[in-house]
Amino acid sequence: MKILAFAGARARAGFAELETAVEPTETPREIVGRVAPQLGLAEMRAAIDCEYWEWDKPVGTATELAIIPPVSGG
Amino acid sequence: METHIEFTTEPIRESACAAASTGETGAEVEFRGIVREMENGRAIGGLNYEAHIPMARKQLERIVDQLNAEAPCHAVWFAHRVGWVPVGETSLYIRVRASHRGEAFRFCAGLIDLLKRDVPIWKLTPQDNVAGEGSR
Repeated sequence: MKILAFAGARARAGFAELETAVEPTETPREIVGRVAPQLGLAEMRAAIDCEYWEWDKPVGTATELAIIPPVSGG
Repeated sequence: METHIEFTTEPIRESACAAASTGETGAEVEFRGIVREMENGRAIGGLNYEAHIPMARKQLERIVDQLNAEAPCHAVWFAHRVGWVPVGETSLYIRVRASHRGEAFRFCAGLIDLLKRDVPIWKLTPQDNVAGEGSR
């Protein structure tokens, strides 16, 4: 699975993008806890294949997990 | 509804955000978000915008469908800069056409509100320590 970290999440995770093997039963919380345990998920949202996703919902066969800090477009 | 969504690293070409108005259009609303010289009390030369572009596009399409059900409009053009945007330049441009001003204003305001809540775009000041790759 491709893991993407944007803006403030990128600085805290220490990467912009990485690849890691995941099990369909794993949740975004478990995956991020494994690849970026220092991140801290307060105020962060998860997105799976470009859709917002619950941190504790299994990712299934998805191919991308994005870590979304508070947005500020405009 | 006619929908145009664009992300660009170049200055927004407003003239490209248009088409011949149809006879049913009675109102057209435009909005420009412009980079201010102060951000969080500090003087800046500009802002660096970053986006998860495929997801942002998907979220915007959903938002447009939702708003169009509440305030039916004929067409919307949405253009957002990514990368460095100097002070004084437009970072966001929206043009909405509808039969009446009420729907056009409501649609435009709703689009901005939901953009700032759910669309994965970020503005970063030069002081933000978030080195690394930007928009993808």
